[in-house]
Amino acid sequence: MTPKKFLVVDDSTTMRRIVANSLKAIGYNDFVEAGDGREALTKLDADTTINFIITDWNMPEVSGLELVRSIRSSDKYNKLPILMVTTRGLKEDILEALQAKVNNYVVKPFTPQILREKIDQILASI
Amino acid sequence: MESKNNMENVFSKLGDLKQFFVFGQKIVPVIQKIIDFMSDVVPLLENVNNSIQDSTSKIPKASTQINSVTSANEIATSEILDIIDAMFLDLSTIKTGLQELKNDENSEKIKSLNEVVEKIEMDSSRITISLQVQDITAQQLASVNHLIDSVQNKLSSLLCDLGKQQDRPIPVFDPNSVSEQDSDFAFSDGTFNENARYDRTTEKQDLVDSLVLENTKTSQEEIDKLFAK
Repeated sequence: MTPKKFLVVDDSTTMRRIVANSLKAIGYNDFVEAGDGREALTKLDADTTINFIITDWNMPEVSGLELVRSIRSSDKYNKLPILMVTTRGLKEDILEALQAKVNNYVVKPFTPQILREKIDQILASI
Repeated sequence: MESKNNMENVFSKLGDLKQFFVFGQKIVPVIQKIIDFMSDVVPLLENVNNSIQDSTSKIPKASTQINSVTSANEIATSEILDIIDAMFLDLSTIKTGLQELKNDENSEKIKSLNEVVEKIEMDSSRITISLQVQDITAQQLASVNHLIDSVQNKLSSLLCDLGKQQDRPIPVFDPNSVSEQDSDFAFSDGTFNENARYDRTTEKQDLVDSLVLENTKTSQEEIDKLFAK
């Protein structure tokens, strides 16, 4: 599978830019952004070309974890690959995210290489 | 006979009274000490009370200042990212220009200049990675703000208990009252990770990788079991 368009979800504009720059650096130029889980769900409904989600965990309104659960419980989007990029690096957090069925997990601060590695791993596994 | 009993009763009561006076003589210095202690402690408590009130009134300002720091950091980080983006465009132009200038005579020189350009690109990329510290510190500051908010609430309730609020109004911190500039950073539970750390070691990512691998293996085993049935 080749990602057509990424949805980058983070409440920090700095982090959205950094993720976007990292995506550009590894050759992915098509992405849209959302500031929280609720906006992400709206963008997802509005843009059917989105086929890869990169989300933060700690966000207002709808958190990244709630977004993942919402997507996984949806008939329409439950197969979408999701990469969580977060500051949460405790074992219980990672396990909780995996239980919610994120495809992979990156702890901030990350490098574009790590991002590429995880995206490639997800794409190879689906 | 009855008169004798009455007299004995009176003497007994007098005995009790005497014992009471003896006890009183012993207890009076203790009571005096307690009174002295109270007169020493009351101004001290008043001081503590005033200090709590002063501190409580300063807390909203501290919260606003923390929000301002977060806001300023985000603006500065955004400006640095703008400069880095512009640098990447310039470097791309330089690379194209160098490619056009390349010929048999200067190919070595062009090659070494290209290497310099690539090094600048790599360094710029490393700066971008380091700028993730802004998000991490923003979460740490939000966590401190949350803590300040809890302390503020405790102090306010303490002041209410002391009845001090009748003299002066107790400032109650309202996160929604932060200035428009800071409004993006108004905090609430779940919007920050109190354990956020700027840690460039691979320790946490290694833990993730091992747990993801374990999870994948388990899933595969479940699939295998399913097909084995």
